[in-house]
Amino acid sequence: MANANDKANCQGTVVKRDKFIQLKRAWYKFSLNKTSVIGLVIVVAVAICAIFQPWLAPYPHHAGEFVDFANVNCPPCKEHWCGTDGVGRDILSRIMYAFRGAFTLGLGCLALVVPFGVVMGLIAGYHKGQWISTFIMRVTDVFLSIPPLIMALCVCAILRPTLFNSLLAVSVSWWTWYCRLVYSMTSSLRNEMYVKSAELTGASTAHILFREILPNCFGAVFTKMTLDMGWIILTGASLGFVGMGEQPPIPSLGTMVADGAKYIPGQWWISICPALAIMIIVLGFNLLGDGVKDMLSSEE
Amino acid sequence: MARTILEVKGLKKYFPIAAGEQKGKVVRAVDGVDFFIREGETLGLVGESGSGKSTTAYCVIGMYSITDGEISFKGQDISMHSSKRPLSIKKDIGMVFQDPGTTLNPQRSVKQILSLPLSVHKIVDKRDPEEQLLKLLEEVELPAEYLYSYPASLGGGERQMLAIARALATDPSLMVLDEPTSALDVSVQAKIINMLLRLQKERNLAYLFITHDLSLMRNLATRIAIMYLGKIAEIAPTETFFSAPRHPYTQMLLSSIPVMTEDEDALKPKRVVSRGEIPSPVDVPPGCSFNTRCPFVTDGCFEEDPAMREVGTDHWVRCHLFA
Amino acid sequence: MTQTIVDIRDLYVQYRTFDGQAKVLNGVNLTVKKGEKVSIVGETACGKTTTVKSILRILAPQASIPRGEILFNGSDVLKMGYSELNKLRSSGASMIFQDPTMSLNPVFTIGEQMEAVIRYSGQSGVEQKSVRHELAVKALEETAMPDPERILQSYPFQLSGGMRQRVCIALSLATPRDLVIADEPTTNLDVTIQDQVLKILKQRVEAKGCSLILITHSFGVARETTDRIYVMYAGNMVETAPTQELFREPLHPYSRALMSCIPRLSGGGMAEGIPGRLSNYHNPPKGCRFAPRCPEAMPRCHEEKPESIDVGREHQVACFLYDKDGGK
Repeated sequence: MANANDKANCQGTVVKRDKFIQLKRAWYKFSLNKTSVIGLVIVVAVAICAIFQPWLAPYPHHAGEFVDFANVNCPPCKEHWCGTDGVGRDILSRIMYAFRGAFTLGLGCLALVVPFGVVMGLIAGYHKGQWISTFIMRVTDVFLSIPPLIMALCVCAILRPTLFNSLLAVSVSWWTWYCRLVYSMTSSLRNEMYVKSAELTGASTAHILFREILPNCFGAVFTKMTLDMGWIILTGASLGFVGMGEQPPIPSLGTMVADGAKYIPGQWWISICPALAIMIIVLGFNLLGDGVKDMLSSEE
Repeated sequence: MARTILEVKGLKKYFPIAAGEQKGKVVRAVDGVDFFIREGETLGLVGESGSGKSTTAYCVIGMYSITDGEISFKGQDISMHSSKRPLSIKKDIGMVFQDPGTTLNPQRSVKQILSLPLSVHKIVDKRDPEEQLLKLLEEVELPAEYLYSYPASLGGGERQMLAIARALATDPSLMVLDEPTSALDVSVQAKIINMLLRLQKERNLAYLFITHDLSLMRNLATRIAIMYLGKIAEIAPTETFFSAPRHPYTQMLLSSIPVMTEDEDALKPKRVVSRGEIPSPVDVPPGCSFNTRCPFVTDGCFEEDPAMREVGTDHWVRCHLFA
Repeated sequence: MTQTIVDIRDLYVQYRTFDGQAKVLNGVNLTVKKGEKVSIVGETACGKTTTVKSILRILAPQASIPRGEILFNGSDVLKMGYSELNKLRSSGASMIFQDPTMSLNPVFTIGEQMEAVIRYSGQSGVEQKSVRHELAVKALEETAMPDPERILQSYPFQLSGGMRQRVCIALSLATPRDLVIADEPTTNLDVTIQDQVLKILKQRVEAKGCSLILITHSFGVARETTDRIYVMYAGNMVETAPTQELFREPLHPYSRALMSCIPRLSGGGMAEGIPGRLSNYHNPPKGCRFAPRCPEAMPRCHEEKPESIDVGREHQVACFLYDKDGGK
């Protein structure tokens, strides 16, 4: 017979062992695809640069207002790996600082968009065929019909262009993707037998939505979040490029590309280096997203 | 004689076809079914795929709203959809589905799965909720350490035992079992059936057992009903059913079963050989619905649908041969 | 002496997985003579399908064969090159799968698929479309299909499950073959349809004089269709005997236990089931793989793997309970 001691034991060991094996299995599936490991390495490296910029960057003070006319437009060399810009600031340091903004934008946007979109999708999907579902999905369609960049431009034109406002601007239309994703998953998951059996038991709608259905959507949502990080950062950079992003002197990748564009082809590094940085981030998140998808899929 | 706990009268369930070539027609999944179950007995509802046996079960548990007819449970009308049924009815009818792989949420632990019915029906033992769950596991012969595992780490048979434990949690008096062992191997099936028999004895449970396996029913059911195209063709106590099968379809089914011993061979009716296929429930043939495959078909079978007639104690047949 | 079509000797197959190598087949021996109908009976995940898939070399890419020999008509399948394998698959052996919806392509008509099979069978004269069409019609007629012309023009989804499986039988016997492998061909079908399909399969195989390997989990199906039965457990053929003899006197404890689990039409109650569960393939028992569940296990069973020994005419059993003379 199980006494209290036994119970405590089996709880501890079984839970730990299960979690550990699950993690190992997840890593095994993830690492089967080498490119996704590359993606993970890129993302982790970029994240480290963003977090530890003040200590890692060769010239941390170059990120703000700084002028050094002695070293203007210096091509990539030993002292300045990515060269310097028109007022002598080290581009590498500025890129590393801009990573911060890019990550804040991506994470902040997802933090706003995902909970809202997911809840909307759950409600609409579970009540498919009823007026509430139709209402949510038509609103979604309206937002979807406006290209996110144009929407963001409008919002930024009305409000002051800052990081927070561009974050808002991107979020306004981005939630619809999560709503759609979760909607389609929920509308099929609600026919699963385990949902039916919870309904027959008499469980509340909230229980069914958040305890039975939602955990089964996590995989797809998480995959999409990883992929979206790249896209949101790209959209943010586009806003910056047209001058609607973070304002100088705070470095942002899009603004840096735009500023350097007038020096092309002579001083190509001013523009190309931040552009490459954008590319690497987006690439990193995309590769990582593929790996996450493989990891969370059930097949082996 | 034991009390009747479930009574189904004239049950009909039609599904309209919403799109495609046959738009506007209806699928007559269940087309006028009458049966009853007494306390503590097992009624085996047997039929081929498309016969409407699962639909009947789903109507009983209220997963579908019925088109016509009446279902009463312990004298109370339960013809409505499950969302409109009182909690006390849901508590008293348990359900086990065919594939334990799909009826257990892969993201929820055994503990969470078993706790749900208890908390919904507010029968959680406040002093020691864990002990209550362990008792349930013990009842279905699962080890206690499974409490914190997830369904994926259980074998097929163990998952089905867990599903049975979940159905038992609310201490029902009727269990609806929809092919609970057809996805499992025979060695596991034997274990589960034995367990169900033991539980039935201990708790005086009534089973509505949906299956396509007549050999299994021979060893389990009190009475057997054969369904064909949404209607019951024959219903009889198990002994009578196998010793004197009357309906031509029953005979066809029996003669088609692959068996292992000569004793069993002797039980198979020799005159009826399987032919044809079950027609679509969208285009049910006029008259007796079995007239496309019946070896004893007469002109009358194409014109009039036979009515149920009693040919012995508790033995009812729906065929013109016994008019 | 009759010619041997398939001869599998001491075959080992393993699959690479996260948990390491799953050692699925553990020294399988199987022979099928010309015109013989053989069945492999066993429970889920005992290696039945892996065995027959290795004959056609259509195992999953994670699988490897560390040891063993598979002789098809005398030549080793494991040493065959691409063109030889192609010949084996197109005109040597054919396979009928469990789920005909998966094995028939949904976007081509039955006719197109049958003609393609006939065309690449390597027969002479099949270059002409009319010849191919005739052969397809003939094959369907032979499986007692009503209105073959209409069926040839249908898409798989327009046919019922039983019809699709009959099309698969017609497809695998449309051209001359030495061997037909049927992997649980009737598991998804209703019992009355199963009866019809099995009768047709048996009759066609007999008429064409080819051999049959039928995989099933049902002793009843095996008894009514085949001449000889292999009982398989956890990657081993534990017993083989002519059908009548196996049912009269099953020798291996597993065969006996499995048979007792099957509910009888004649009643008699339910058996207890087999205790325990199928052992893990990643870390299988050292000796006999059935030993942990066997009611008659001896200390020796946990240490050594029993070899198959002859205990009668065509009756072999892999168990230490028996010695060469068939005594216990």
